[in-house]
Amino acid sequence: MQAQKSSVQGEANLAAIGAFVLIFAILFTIALMNAPVKATAQVTETLGSYLREVRTTALPFVAIVGLLAVGVAVAAAVVVRREWPDLTRRRALIAGYSFLAPYLLVTLTFTVGVILFALYIAFTKYEIYTEPTFVGLDNFAKALKSKQFLQSLHNVLWYAVIVTVAQTTIAIALAVLLNSPMRFKQFFRTVFYAPSVTSSVVITLIFVWLYLKTGYVNLLFSKVWELFGLHYKAIDWLGNPKGLIQLIVELFGGKIPSQQWYLRGPSVAWCCLMVQNIFTTAPTFMIMFLAALQDINPSLYEAASIDGANGWQQFWKITLPLLRPIVVLVLVLSTIGTLQIFDQVYLATAGGPLDTTVTPVYLVYTEALGKQGPIQMGYASAIAFILAILIFFFTFIQRRVIERGAEQY
Amino acid sequence: MSVATQAMSRVKSRAEGRPASYYAGLVLRYLALIAIGLVMFIPFILAFLGSFKTDAEIIAWPPRFLPTTWLTQNWVKVWQTDLGEGGTFPRWLFNTAFLSVAIAVLEVIGCSMAAYAFARLRFPGRNLVFNFMLGTMMIPGAVTLIPAFVLMSKLKLLNTYWSLLLPGIVSAGAIFMLTQFFKTIPRDLEEAAHIDGASQFQIYKDVILPLARPALLTVFILQFQAMWNNFLTPLLYLDAPRMWVLNVALSVFKQQYKAQWNLTLVGAVFNAVPVLVLFFFFSKYYIEGVAYTGVKG
Repeated sequence: MQAQKSSVQGEANLAAIGAFVLIFAILFTIALMNAPVKATAQVTETLGSYLREVRTTALPFVAIVGLLAVGVAVAAAVVVRREWPDLTRRRALIAGYSFLAPYLLVTLTFTVGVILFALYIAFTKYEIYTEPTFVGLDNFAKALKSKQFLQSLHNVLWYAVIVTVAQTTIAIALAVLLNSPMRFKQFFRTVFYAPSVTSSVVITLIFVWLYLKTGYVNLLFSKVWELFGLHYKAIDWLGNPKGLIQLIVELFGGKIPSQQWYLRGPSVAWCCLMVQNIFTTAPTFMIMFLAALQDINPSLYEAASIDGANGWQQFWKITLPLLRPIVVLVLVLSTIGTLQIFDQVYLATAGGPLDTTVTPVYLVYTEALGKQGPIQMGYASAIAFILAILIFFFTFIQRRVIERGAEQY
Repeated sequence: MSVATQAMSRVKSRAEGRPASYYAGLVLRYLALIAIGLVMFIPFILAFLGSFKTDAEIIAWPPRFLPTTWLTQNWVKVWQTDLGEGGTFPRWLFNTAFLSVAIAVLEVIGCSMAAYAFARLRFPGRNLVFNFMLGTMMIPGAVTLIPAFVLMSKLKLLNTYWSLLLPGIVSAGAIFMLTQFFKTIPRDLEEAAHIDGASQFQIYKDVILPLARPALLTVFILQFQAMWNNFLTPLLYLDAPRMWVLNVALSVFKQQYKAQWNLTLVGAVFNAVPVLVLFFFFSKYYIEGVAYTGVKG
């Protein structure tokens, strides 16, 4: 009896050591893969040359991540030692982590590992083919002093506010329209949703063509102007850097000097991309609202109409309050999406005219690949983190504001 | 069903009550629906018609609705595009289709495995990992973009399919959706299988997966579409002409064919049609997927 117990205990200890070694090896390999070293052909040629480079330049990074790995591996070993003697629990443990293995390996390598690397290089000067050198907060300071980056934040904030408000409103309106009793509901739902399944590249190219000086958008405007007997002069929509506020001020004979560019509002070109984005994403959110509308108990509306509430009142007093959780979700998703806008900018305007459509992710792309000057991986990474902080901040605020509003109900 | 019949009877009783205004509202509603439907579809129709126009007509003012002569040659020309180094149109089509199918298949396997563990197995650390996964969903893609590119370059995976396939094995959103779905499957069958001595893997493969077929199909379709429409990652990882996907090739078309918008539009229509066709056949799964991630999440 005693011997049997000690042999089980010995087996558990052995398993714990095995778990420790396995997990530490995996995590340490991921750390090595993501070690901040220069990635020249000589360095990555063989495993030996790579490890030599890691030893000479990236020891602090590997040591810190290695310590984290030891911590996780110890925790795992303790759990294995505790669970091992019980057959059912041992099997559950092994099965659970076997099923999770693909997920964990991929996420630890391509999400956690790369984020640790990104965090490290954000504080260094790193050009991928040079060793990263520590520069403290220089990259962040440089970003916050760069006019281009500030303008990209300014652009993307206008974009997020206008597009989010517009597409949420339109999505709710479309969902309510589709939710009313009707024939061919499926058909209309499918047709409305079509722009959302097509790639942003396709839609952007089509819209760039529609926005041409000789395109259909100008044709539409000229036809409308003709109705009123006015002469219409075709506009180069995507080449127009004038801000909306600037246009209004100029209408009254005023002027906004270029030093005060931040007062000019979103440019005409930028607004064109907003329209296009609303067109493609509003249907996605429409589907979410539609699903939520179908969950609302119809007896609520019956009771309200007996009390004499008209359709408009029912919408404001019943539908909208009950949609609140989905509204929060849609606002958050829309903000996250719009703050990271890239495809449309890359294809339609390349940040121009006069940087009025430049965005943070577009800057991350151009700086990291050296599309405008030298490669600046560290700087690009700093920009990405500033954007991430901004996104966290906005999602947090939105949740707080709307949840506080919900307390009334 | 009863809810639907209730709704129907309500509609009927209302219709009998106030015919004139009711029918006016009905006509107005259908007019609005048709108008919105047209707005949603007109860019595609214009692009399709434009793809048959001549070089001159495509940028002529004022633009006409129908092409004066239907130039099918445009389509042939685009199909025969050859930028050298193996960069041909059929190759791009193959790359896109292969990657989209492969990633969708990998996701279905990888995500359903993880979801099974989260939904059905009890082991220490499960909730920790699940919450960790929810946390990773908050991370904006912009942060991982550059370091993942560096990692791919170190692993020498740039310009290989693996650079997109490896990170594409799982996605937190799909795992979350499948976990929620698996939780709704009754446990009786599994218990029966368990008593018969089936292993966890057999239960997953022979009991859960067949029952979850609609949810798996939804994941497949959404991931297929996501990869087909993906632009930024292939733009970064696959920059050799022979490895381009259609989206990346299209972005080059704009420069390659400068003012020849008719050819660019052929490419755009070519790219849009497969997803649109897929969508029209499986729109139920699409819509369930979007609604499910939204409402139940």
